[in-house]
Amino acid sequence: MKSTILHLSKMLQSGEITSVQLTEQYISAIEKENPAINAYVNYTFDQARANAIEADKLIKEGRATALTGIPFTLKDNIATDGMLTTCCSKILQGFKPYYDATVWSKLKAQGAVLLGKTNMDEFAMGSTSETSVYGAPLNPIDKTRVTGGSSGGVAAAVCANLAAYGLGSDTGGSIRQPASFCGIVGFKPSYGAVSRYGLIAYGSSLDQIGPMTRSVTDAAIIFDAIKGEDKKDGTSVATPSGETKLIGDVKGLKIGVVEELTDGVNPEILQAVNGVIEAYQKAGAQVVKLSVPALKLALPVYYIIACAEASSNLGRYDGIRYGYRASNYSGLDDMVTKTRSEGFGKEVKKRIMLGTYVLSSGYFDAYYKKACVLRGEVEKQIKECFEKCDFIFAPTVPQTAFPLGYSGGNATETYLSDVCTVPVNIAGLPAISIPCGKDKNGLPIGLQIIGRKYDDERVLNAAYFAEKYGVCEDIQFDGGVKL
Amino acid sequence: MKYQLVSGLETHVELATKTKIFCGCTTAFGGEPNTHCCPVCTGQPGALPILNKKVVEYAIRAGLATHCTINTTTHLDRKNYCYPDLPKAYQISQFDKPLCEHGYVELESGKRIGITRIHIEEDAGKLVHESGYTLIDYNRGGVPLIEIVSEPDISSPEEAKEYVEKLQLIMRYIGVSDCKMQEGSMRCDVNISVMPEGSKEFGTRTEIKNMNSISYIDKAMRYEYERQCEVLNDGGKIVQATLRYDEKTGETSVMRTKEDAQDYRYFPEPDILTVVIPESKVEEIKSQLPELPLEKLNRYIDELKINPATARLLYKYKKVCDFVEKVISLGASVKNAVNLTTGVLYSKLPTEEDKENFALPVTAEETAKLIKLADEGKINITLAQQTLSKMAEEGNPVSAYIKEEDLAGVDDSELEEICKQAIENNPAAAADFKGGKEKAIFALYGFVKKATQGKADIKKADAILKKLILG
Amino acid sequence: MSISQKEIQTLARLSRLEFSEEEQEKFIPDFEEIIAFADRINGEVVGDTSSIKEVAARTIAWEDLREDEVTDSLPNEKITSNVEAQDGYFPVRRVVK
Repeated sequence: MKSTILHLSKMLQSGEITSVQLTEQYISAIEKENPAINAYVNYTFDQARANAIEADKLIKEGRATALTGIPFTLKDNIATDGMLTTCCSKILQGFKPYYDATVWSKLKAQGAVLLGKTNMDEFAMGSTSETSVYGAPLNPIDKTRVTGGSSGGVAAAVCANLAAYGLGSDTGGSIRQPASFCGIVGFKPSYGAVSRYGLIAYGSSLDQIGPMTRSVTDAAIIFDAIKGEDKKDGTSVATPSGETKLIGDVKGLKIGVVEELTDGVNPEILQAVNGVIEAYQKAGAQVVKLSVPALKLALPVYYIIACAEASSNLGRYDGIRYGYRASNYSGLDDMVTKTRSEGFGKEVKKRIMLGTYVLSSGYFDAYYKKACVLRGEVEKQIKECFEKCDFIFAPTVPQTAFPLGYSGGNATETYLSDVCTVPVNIAGLPAISIPCGKDKNGLPIGLQIIGRKYDDERVLNAAYFAEKYGVCEDIQFDGGVKL
Repeated sequence: MKYQLVSGLETHVELATKTKIFCGCTTAFGGEPNTHCCPVCTGQPGALPILNKKVVEYAIRAGLATHCTINTTTHLDRKNYCYPDLPKAYQISQFDKPLCEHGYVELESGKRIGITRIHIEEDAGKLVHESGYTLIDYNRGGVPLIEIVSEPDISSPEEAKEYVEKLQLIMRYIGVSDCKMQEGSMRCDVNISVMPEGSKEFGTRTEIKNMNSISYIDKAMRYEYERQCEVLNDGGKIVQATLRYDEKTGETSVMRTKEDAQDYRYFPEPDILTVVIPESKVEEIKSQLPELPLEKLNRYIDELKINPATARLLYKYKKVCDFVEKVISLGASVKNAVNLTTGVLYSKLPTEEDKENFALPVTAEETAKLIKLADEGKINITLAQQTLSKMAEEGNPVSAYIKEEDLAGVDDSELEEICKQAIENNPAAAADFKGGKEKAIFALYGFVKKATQGKADIKKADAILKKLILG
Repeated sequence: MSISQKEIQTLARLSRLEFSEEEQEKFIPDFEEIIAFADRINGEVVGDTSSIKEVAARTIAWEDLREDEVTDSLPNEKITSNVEAQDGYFPVRRVVK
């Protein structure tokens, strides 16, 4: 039962299986296999069973959509009414929001079945999911390796078929990088295309929710279900309504290959990426070689802005209204300081401190202000680049999945591994990672397709070509034509 | 040495919007603790702020009424500090691009107190300290405020008092706030320094936080001025500090000094887009601004010829002015409209708040009808006063008290006849009057009033009586 | 890039965090590493960046601002559902030993 949403949906609609049955299959798979990979940190099986009953009603009444009755998972930083939402942090221990994230409301309304909340780096700060208070999820493809992060739990769950799909969040690559490491599809929509209401903030100007799926088609189905302007999120934008039309024609498309995103990348990975590009060329796409010098700035700019925003966003965890509270203290100030010192992990503290540093008087201009200016330059140069091409093709990550424990001693190197994903967030662009082969260890490699701002549908279409014509064999496709 | 006081005020004014600045929760005062709340105003993880249009509109109105320029491109910033009444650990405020800048408030002397800036921000919640516990209520959290920052143009407690009163009046006039200091919908931080008289260089300043009454501002300023002078005269130095004022002792004490000053780490609020206000909107708001208090006062004195003391009694209360102006526009005489209002109606409105609210059941239409009767001499002023008093209490129309037949009035020849009778019946009074005892004529008025059941125009009667007695 | 103990303490105070001396010893090199990384915008960047302007921020139009219409607040039981409320308040005991 390793199936796409599209496939499962056909089974449900034809009556071959009910959502209740399908849900029970997933639940038993999770109970059996999750302990070995630690993808889920909190099960919501009662919710799932209730959702499934509702879904079967919708199907019976002919009111089903493609995702009705299909079991899925949410990253643990997406608020779910009455269900634990902890960002995999001790400081949110026991926290049950009394409101739903907009994405969850939208999916619930269509009869989606929520199996549980999945593992992640604490407050989404990390590239391996190892900073989770629940311990790291393991890569189902090689359990000695990390899943990537921060949406590592979703990636592992989808990869191991413990959910048909999941929603992750992406601040600097947190959907695309684990999708790449686990060999699935991860789509980060344009900033604003999907409501952030109920997404527990890390870097507010960079955060974006998106689907993690086994096919591009599925990514489009879920994107369509969650996209659009939301009155509760002032930064959300109106996207073209209606279904994303997947055609997969790449004739005449200009593919940009950017020097700064391929320099120094492991040759095995470059080879896999180039193989896909060749297939696109054969189908009539053109390749343009480009240089975007400002991308060299993207990583430090990203860390400064993300951490500055995080230092402010995470100020609210003071033990007063929710979550963990220190048990011994000598006054209100002391309570807050102890709560935070005991409740946050090391990486989170480091990033809060960095954020405080770059915003504090005396350093503001040299760091935060300058980073904002340079962010503008990165955006501008990318925009100019898109005058010469329609998409940028690049590796998602310059590596394949790290061994567990590796990043702990190699902080800077781990930060550097976000080099290809971070520019996308800085400029608020849509980008998708699709599996495009494996390295000599059998670890998945991801190809990233980056589009112009609000070209979400075109990005999905460009990726769909690879799915439709079997360019990337690891993408599941129902009814495709081999090239 | 003699020192000159230098002061600037930061005034927080709560805006009278229906909903909070970033969510749809009510701003209604009071309520059970934590019942005017939602995920947004209690800082729940994942909740996002949505800016209230009315807040921007009201702030622009306040800016225009204080002669500010409006920044039509403006954004909000986060001011980061941790306190239990601030649920997000940052206050959404404005830092480098306030909505309004470079205005002034004019005092009656003609002196202008500069307004540096007016920006919008959110209020914090309320803490209650009780037997070992701190209890927090977020009902006030997220209520919209404007902060009005003045230039250090204030040079005496009297000026500070007038400045605050003028601001209060302006804000009430334009309907953006009720500015009730006792309920906290207006509060001031007072910056004070002193410098040798004639000097141009400001001294080190201190800031007295959270003053919630005009009389305390006055007292605190006097105290702090004396204190600073004394320190300097004793050869000491003023330490830059934030102070609190103790209402009981009348003294200021240090809350914190510059050394442990906050570092607010302001940065642009990423959850709210930059607001672009069309010029046409600013023009529209400008065109809808009512006449401002000083303009009104001057018009009352110069054009309506109301005596300055009475004009001052009126102009402080916008609703009263609206009422009087309506009565006048319906044809009543200015003099009677003004005098009956400040005489009869004010006696029903003993407190400032009563006058401010002006919630009497009497309408301008009925009042105008009544006054016109008096103006035309159909009833005398005493009857008008008595009737208005009843109308203001009972809310009935004029017709409930004065019947058609009462309004026939007394024609001139009839009045002359009655006056003659008055003199015949009170020869002593007439003689006394003739002899120079002016008050003696009141006895004759009394006779006339009684004989005509109050319908006679006493002014006319007075003229006739004098003619008859004095020849 | 070296960071003094005093600077760490100031940042910790502003961040509402505290580090024991032992933690601080471990933390400082990690923190210096991340600052050095952030500092790349000041050091490794080639060329003059002073002429670069921040791109104009996204804007919201007047008519898209929220109208001043009251929506229902949530019941107190929800608002305080993650604490043990006292008379509807969020309570914090001032000292716990």
